[in-house]
Amino acid sequence: AARPPIMAKDSLAEAGLHFDELNKLRVLEPEVAQKTTELKEECRDFVEKIGQFQKIVGGLIELVDELAKEAETEKMKAIGARNLLKSVAKQREAQQQQLQALIAEKKMQLERYRIEYEALSKVEAEQNEFIDQFILQK
Amino acid sequence: MTFFFTVFLNNPVHKELVSCVGWTTADELYSCSEDHQILRWNLLTNETTLAVKLQVDIYPIDLHWFPKTVGGKKQAQAEVFVLTGTDGKFHLVSKTGRIEKSVEAHRGAVLAGRWNYDGTALITAGEDGQIKIWSKSGMLRSTLVQQGSSVYSVAWAPDSDKILYTLGKQLVIKPLQPSAKVLQWKAHDGVILKVDWNSVNDLILSGGEDCKYKVWDSYGHLLYCSASHDYPITSVAWAPDGELFAVGSFNTLRLCDKTGWSYALEKPNTGSIFNIAWSVDGTQVAGACGNGHVIFAHVIEQRWSWKNFEIILTKRRTMQVRNVQNDAVDVLEFRDRVIKASLSFGHLVVTTSLQCYVYSAKNWNTPLIFDLKEGTVSLILQAERHFLLVDGAGIYLFSYEGRLISAPKFPGMRTDILNAQTVSLSNDTIAIRDKADEKVIFLIDALSGKPLGDGKPLVHKMEVMEVALDQCGIPNERKIALIDKNRDLYLTCVRRFGREPPINKIGTMVHSMAWNDTANILCGIQDNHFTVWCYPNTEFVDKDLLPKTMCMKDASEFSRNPQVLNYVGNQVAIRRADGSLVYSCVSPYPAILHEYVTASRWDDALRLCRFAKDQTLWACLAAMAIASKELTTAEIAYAAIGEIDKVQYINSIKELPSKESSLAYMMLFSGNVQEAEGILLQAGLIYQAIQVHINLYNWDRALELAVKYKTHVDTVLAYRQKYLEDFAKKETNKRFLQYSEGVEVDWEKIQAKIDMEIAKEREKAASSSAVRSSMSSHR
Repeated sequence: AARPPIMAKDSLAEAGLHFDELNKLRVLEPEVAQKTTELKEECRDFVEKIGQFQKIVGGLIELVDELAKEAETEKMKAIGARNLLKSVAKQREAQQQQLQALIAEKKMQLERYRIEYEALSKVEAEQNEFIDQFILQK
Repeated sequence: MTFFFTVFLNNPVHKELVSCVGWTTADELYSCSEDHQILRWNLLTNETTLAVKLQVDIYPIDLHWFPKTVGGKKQAQAEVFVLTGTDGKFHLVSKTGRIEKSVEAHRGAVLAGRWNYDGTALITAGEDGQIKIWSKSGMLRSTLVQQGSSVYSVAWAPDSDKILYTLGKQLVIKPLQPSAKVLQWKAHDGVILKVDWNSVNDLILSGGEDCKYKVWDSYGHLLYCSASHDYPITSVAWAPDGELFAVGSFNTLRLCDKTGWSYALEKPNTGSIFNIAWSVDGTQVAGACGNGHVIFAHVIEQRWSWKNFEIILTKRRTMQVRNVQNDAVDVLEFRDRVIKASLSFGHLVVTTSLQCYVYSAKNWNTPLIFDLKEGTVSLILQAERHFLLVDGAGIYLFSYEGRLISAPKFPGMRTDILNAQTVSLSNDTIAIRDKADEKVIFLIDALSGKPLGDGKPLVHKMEVMEVALDQCGIPNERKIALIDKNRDLYLTCVRRFGREPPINKIGTMVHSMAWNDTANILCGIQDNHFTVWCYPNTEFVDKDLLPKTMCMKDASEFSRNPQVLNYVGNQVAIRRADGSLVYSCVSPYPAILHEYVTASRWDDALRLCRFAKDQTLWACLAAMAIASKELTTAEIAYAAIGEIDKVQYINSIKELPSKESSLAYMMLFSGNVQEAEGILLQAGLIYQAIQVHINLYNWDRALELAVKYKTHVDTVLAYRQKYLEDFAKKETNKRFLQYSEGVEVDWEKIQAKIDMEIAKEREKAASSSAVRSSMSSHR
């Protein structure tokens, strides 16, 4: 194939057809086509970069989420521990109450024994007195 | 005493709260829970099996087994229990777990269901405020109560003729008879959750949301009020013998004496204990716990003491005997669980579920063992020579050698309600207070088991609360002391000869009493004095002397409402209302004096009184001497206490012409006019009899005798005339007016007649004593 005549070139241009450097027939002007290609390249780059960015951001979010979760569990743990602490205090209180009740019971028993002991001491004193008197009178 | 616990934490426990429990035998329990299961617990094998799986809409609330024995007779009916639920129905369930019958009973939940003691009626109480009575088979008889608020708990009276129920903060006793009076009182400051009424001691127990439990008598008098607990009292239950009760609350189980004070407190991790049930033998307790557990407890560490021995039930089958004189310790082992024990008169009697062990205090190694017919002995009473066992079927008297002496029976016998206050045992007599009519006391000859004398029981004018027989002396002089509803103490003879023996009041406001074990000395708490009646028989010998034979001591150290436990030797053991034991010493002299007099050692008795220089002792001796017709001693004793008038009277008796008349005048001394007259008439001493009545200004009887025997009518008229002149009165008595007509009063003639009578009597007495002495010399 031979190079088309110049004249033909203009008329072709009028018809919206162009030749590029490689003399291939094009619908777009070569510059526009080049620009388009460049844009396309740039777009691809952009998309790639955006993709990368998204990946990075995704990772970040995931990380933060994880952190949040961990923080949440720690928080729950803390609350639990705090409650436990509170309930231990309460438990101790209940235990104390129980022990108090038991102590009161024992005290009562002790008091009974004390009274019994006193009564027996009195009986002993009376008996000794009686014996003394008995011996004296004899 | 303490509780010993076994909490069942192993497999199948209930998944929800346990609402009620009930024993079938001493070792088998049924428990109901809101997880719709009824479990059967066997304590011998430690097995728990599912008895019933209920429908999902039945949430059980209360369970009560049909009574097993009724008046000593075993029930023929198959074992069933009543189960009440939230669905407003009650169900009759057999032992195998089959629901025999379901009855629509109330709107809302049925909160309680109770059989009466003879199993003839069932009572249910509902959330709708109604109480209904049902027949044995579940037919509605009547709606007894309708009120605005829920009835949380009901209980039957001991004789099943009344019911007790809760009305908010109030308790109500309602007789089944529609016309009878209803007793209602405010009992707690909070809603009352549980009540129980014991058939043996007739006491009422209540517990409520004000965190207190209280003990009441059946008239609604408060006997004990506990301190406030930390949580509401959710359950109360009497032990079958009425000596103990258990109280349940949140994480709390308490064992208390019947007077209210607490023996033991336990804080098991159970949640609220909603229901407590005692096993039939009264040794075990089961509790229905809020956290799904069933808790079991045994009562141990009971103590018995007598003289120098102290015995403790250390384990369920082991006792420890300590001799405090030499610290010797013996351990007694039993094959089965110990149910009852008694230590007195040198013997220990222990009953287990199958056997009876009798130990002598001299030898703890070789007990005498015999088998029991009926398992659960509810009462053991001891006397010097024998002991009494009471079980569900009867009363049995055994010798300490294990021989069955007798099995007394009495009309309307119900042995399950007998206790130590209403039964008394002595060497020859058994006294039992009747339940149907509390004024009646049955007197039974111990050796034969037959009623005494003509078989008529002793009837008092008031309800009798406590009876006690004296322990010493001869059977014919056996006395019974009784405390009636007014808290008056009476004394009377058990054996009667001819006429009804008098029942004499010897004390007022007596709360508790006990006879001595070796002499007939009575002690008691009288109002706020501790009183010892050193010779109660004085009441029948010389009434006025009684106060002088009593020793009184201030009893304020025993605080309010103390109970005399026993009176052994010279020591009285008293239980104060707070549960502490105190002892009081009584002078040993009265007991020694009793011993001398029983042996007729009057010289020794006199020497003792002179040595002790005690007015009370002299007074006792005076009364004892009069009772034994020992005039010389009586004269000295009366002189010692300054009763000169009586000395003179005794002297005048000594001068009487014959034995019979002196005997009669002795009778007069004790105030027994009728007997004195009888003696004189029997001896043919008409004049003396008439003179007795003249001296007593007993004019009608004197004239009656004179007319009847046609002698000394003029004597009577003469004395009467003199009496009227002395008091410047006119004759108004028709009989005297009638007889005085035509009778001339001639004092000289009368005096001569009297002298003649006395001379005659003296002659007769001399000749009869001569005969007697000649007879005795022949021997």
